[in-house]
Amino acid sequence: MRAALWAEAVKLTSSAVGRVGTAAIVGGIAVLCGALLLAAESGDPQLVAKLGPAADGGWSGLLAAAAQVTGAGGLLGFGVVLAWLFGREFGEGTVSGLFAIPIRRSTIAAAKLLVYGAWATLASVALAVALLVVGLVSGLGAFPAELWPAIARQLALTVMTAAVATPVAWAATAGRSLLVGVSTAIGIVIVAQVSVLAGAGGWMPLAAPALWAVSGGSAVSLLQLSLLVPVVAAVAGATMAIWERLQLDR
Amino acid sequence: MAEVRLAARDVTRSFSSGAGVRGVTLELGAGEVIALVGLNGAGKSTLMRLLLGMLRPVTGEVELDGVSLPLAPIEWWRSVGHSVEYSLAYPELTARQNLRMNARLHGAVDVNPLVEKSLQELGLEEYADRRARALSQGNRQRVGLAAALQHDPSVIVLDEPSNALDPKGVILLREALRRRADRGAAVLVSSHHLDEVARVADRIVVMNAGRLIGKLDPGTPEIERAFFEIVRRDDERASA
Repeated sequence: MRAALWAEAVKLTSSAVGRVGTAAIVGGIAVLCGALLLAAESGDPQLVAKLGPAADGGWSGLLAAAAQVTGAGGLLGFGVVLAWLFGREFGEGTVSGLFAIPIRRSTIAAAKLLVYGAWATLASVALAVALLVVGLVSGLGAFPAELWPAIARQLALTVMTAAVATPVAWAATAGRSLLVGVSTAIGIVIVAQVSVLAGAGGWMPLAAPALWAVSGGSAVSLLQLSLLVPVVAAVAGATMAIWERLQLDR
Repeated sequence: MAEVRLAARDVTRSFSSGAGVRGVTLELGAGEVIALVGLNGAGKSTLMRLLLGMLRPVTGEVELDGVSLPLAPIEWWRSVGHSVEYSLAYPELTARQNLRMNARLHGAVDVNPLVEKSLQELGLEEYADRRARALSQGNRQRVGLAAALQHDPSVIVLDEPSNALDPKGVILLREALRRRADRGAAVLVSSHHLDEVARVADRIVVMNAGRLIGKLDPGTPEIERAFFEIVRRDDERASA
């Protein structure tokens, strides 16, 4: 397992996809939230009406904006990186080198998921820090102590958003393609949005984390939120199984 | 017959296109180099993928050291080196990083000396710190070959290993394979270059339409003509 973890970590940290993905998730979301903060302070009634809770301005507005953007934009960013981690092996033909070695392919798939999880956690922490920097640079003043739960919720949301993207790993493998993985990420965003509009968001594990964060924790129960755990476990298991049974028959 | 290291026994695997291999039996013995030759679509790569567990046969079985592949301990793959269809060279990694990663994935312990020796053996020293994406196709292929050979495998399977190599690379590869075979490694290479494989192989096996249809003596004069004659006779038999 150590060799597989090392290999996957080296590939991700050396790649442009890893760097651009990190920049997009951390820098992109933070800058976008800063821009939404400026829009809220512009006082334009039409703009303010579109911003929802983010229109409150100040630290709470910034964090509300971050929750909204992370739920969709972050999911796409995480999905693209995960699709690359799995799909590139097929697109570039390197998957043949992962056969006939003394490491099970299920272990390689597990290593990919673990490296993805570690990277996503680091990116989540970096995003939380970047949001604090954006708030300070924007002149919001010292971070109020009562909002620490909100920043913790933002951190948890980013990690859970990365977890919501895990079906991408299975799809990129089953479809033997990075594009299938990216399409799946887009599909997850759409399914999550539609399920929220249909009123099933809390019970829809792919939508629950964003709904939980946007509502400040009030619209989704802990039970509903915890449904994400078996879903991710099942997807991870299915991805490892498909890698173990993999054949180069296409 | 030398000790059989890798064997296909009556294996069949076909695809919806009609391509594939049918009832192929091939034994790869320690200390010998077998060349697998055939026209495009003959089934050479499919047979190699079957031998390496990348495909499962519909009938028949593949054995590594006498044990059917699904039952062979995973650690046994430590003794196998291969390069099939694509050179294992991740574009974002340097040649040296690619080799280090491969050595680790093959269970090597003392990685750095292995990598440096391998870079030297395949003439890659000056390209060692260049990313694989910046290398010529031939040098990328050398990286893939170095990855397949560096952990000193005793079973080696290489698909078209000299395709993109320059003459220097071809000679380096030939010497590397011969050295390993002389030390007891079992080597299987596929190639279109009959003159080249005749220089390195102990046996040449001809494949056509998914079947092994004959053998050629590496010392055969005008070996390409002899090859085409075997293939033509097989095609005529099949269409009769």
